[in-house]
Amino acid sequence: MTQLANYVFTQPELLSLLASASPEALDSLDFGLIGFDADGLVRQYNDFESRAAGLSPQRVLGQALFTHVAPCMNNFMVAQRFEDAAGAGSTLDETIDYVLTLRMRPVKVRLRLLSTPAQSMRYVLIQRAL
Amino acid sequence: MENLESEYEALLQFLYLAPVGIVQTALDGSIAMINPLSAQLLMPLSRNGNLDNLFDALDQVAPELRNLVDQFPQSHGTVCDSLRVQLSAGIPGKKDARMLSLTVLKLDESRLMAVISDITQVVRRERQLKQSEAWFSAVLTGITDYALMSLDPSGRIESWNQSISRVTGHSERAVIGRQISLFHPPGAITSDRIADRLVEADANGWSLDNGWCLRADGSRFWGNTMIAPLSRDDDLPEEERGYALIIRDITDKREAGDSVLRASACDYLTGIANRRTFFEAAELELERWRRFPRPLSVVAIDADFFKQINDTWGHPAGDEVLRNLAQTLSATVREIDVVARLGGEEFAALLPSTDLEGAVRLAERFRSAVESQRVMAGGQEIRYTVSVGVASMDSQVSGMDQLLKLADSALYAAKKAGRNQVWPHRADHVLTGPEDGAT
Repeated sequence: MTQLANYVFTQPELLSLLASASPEALDSLDFGLIGFDADGLVRQYNDFESRAAGLSPQRVLGQALFTHVAPCMNNFMVAQRFEDAAGAGSTLDETIDYVLTLRMRPVKVRLRLLSTPAQSMRYVLIQRAL
Repeated sequence: MENLESEYEALLQFLYLAPVGIVQTALDGSIAMINPLSAQLLMPLSRNGNLDNLFDALDQVAPELRNLVDQFPQSHGTVCDSLRVQLSAGIPGKKDARMLSLTVLKLDESRLMAVISDITQVVRRERQLKQSEAWFSAVLTGITDYALMSLDPSGRIESWNQSISRVTGHSERAVIGRQISLFHPPGAITSDRIADRLVEADANGWSLDNGWCLRADGSRFWGNTMIAPLSRDDDLPEEERGYALIIRDITDKREAGDSVLRASACDYLTGIANRRTFFEAAELELERWRRFPRPLSVVAIDADFFKQINDTWGHPAGDEVLRNLAQTLSATVREIDVVARLGGEEFAALLPSTDLEGAVRLAERFRSAVESQRVMAGGQEIRYTVSVGVASMDSQVSGMDQLLKLADSALYAAKKAGRNQVWPHRADHVLTGPEDGAT
């Protein structure tokens, strides 16, 4: 067990911790994680998310997140928030209720959206709503 | 085995990436399967943050859907094909009105399949095309009789010929020097609207409108009126400009095309304008307002305790109440006003050339008219009330979406203050929403 396994979805200051975490550590999280770069291409896709969506990482890594991986988030509620934060040069750390279509089933989730101008990697964290 | 798994994965991804929304539901709308593009389009519409039921998700923008499915007689087939669902008003020249297309198939007695796509761009292109078509159809087709006259720069009738008498029954003495409002029933046109049409004719080369016209003996006909500038010379001083007005009686044509037109422009339940028609009219009115700012008000209406009405007396009774509300509203406003059902139990009225005070007076008349209504449904006598919010256009308001939002926040204040009330929007309300603005 790595130390990251103890991190919870709501952990404060999570962004800087994720940046330095190993792929194994990200895979041990008990919530989904998608990391994408400034061009919107997926760079990290953890094991939890891969199992929930039914897609292996190699089908997803390097693809454009909002058009080729998670089109369901390509609206003002999610994608626009990242764009706005990047445009304004501000830090984004917001948690919203959302519905994902994992394996074509509507699944209630909480999304935590993380980005900061200081680092190129941005994250969407996905936790199944209780 | 591994092969099967990777095929399954490829299929999953195929559905994840499909550029149209696909949803499978039960007959009551509850969602069994749904792909990501559907979520992209529907989540911003969902009021409770859920995507459990397709009818619920679309209730505010396509309230007819549940009904269409309920009343679909066959065991399978197309319930609706490319039904247009307007999401937002847009801002002319800046932001397009957002529009979805919705097709629903009934697969069998337990399943529906819906296809949803964003047709905002298609609609924009179509609209440009429609304008030029309207022009050709007015000029080229089926003119059996028409009244032709020239108008002076202020829209007064300048010249006489027999065609005016044939179509309208007026004599020369009765029309020369008079405003063209003479040809319309009271309340169907205002002097502001006449000025607008002259400006539009100058800008576009013509101004077309359909509506009720009036003969000298007081009888009505459904008329098509076109105003065109007599000269397209932009440098001409205003006092030398003149216009041609052509009035055609198209009562017959109207009846022929009526059912198709009504189906696309009117709300299925109440018969008044639907959401799309309302936003189209609103967009035109806002363009006019931008050219010449002048009073323009919107009234937002919500039936009080409507859920309780449905729960207590059943949905048919609720429908009856909505129909009564629409009739009462139509009877309260002028003909030039546009009244519409926007969704669920939400209604609105668009009032040109009406300031906040005038709109509040009208809203109050409507509210008290509703209070005295008795709706009969299933042998029961139902009484109901409405809450009303009123807002007027000013330079701080960006467009129809925001103006409606202001009226909504006033409506929310009226609800909060105990319902069965009319509240005007006040400038010190915060613009962002009822939660912070309306108390």
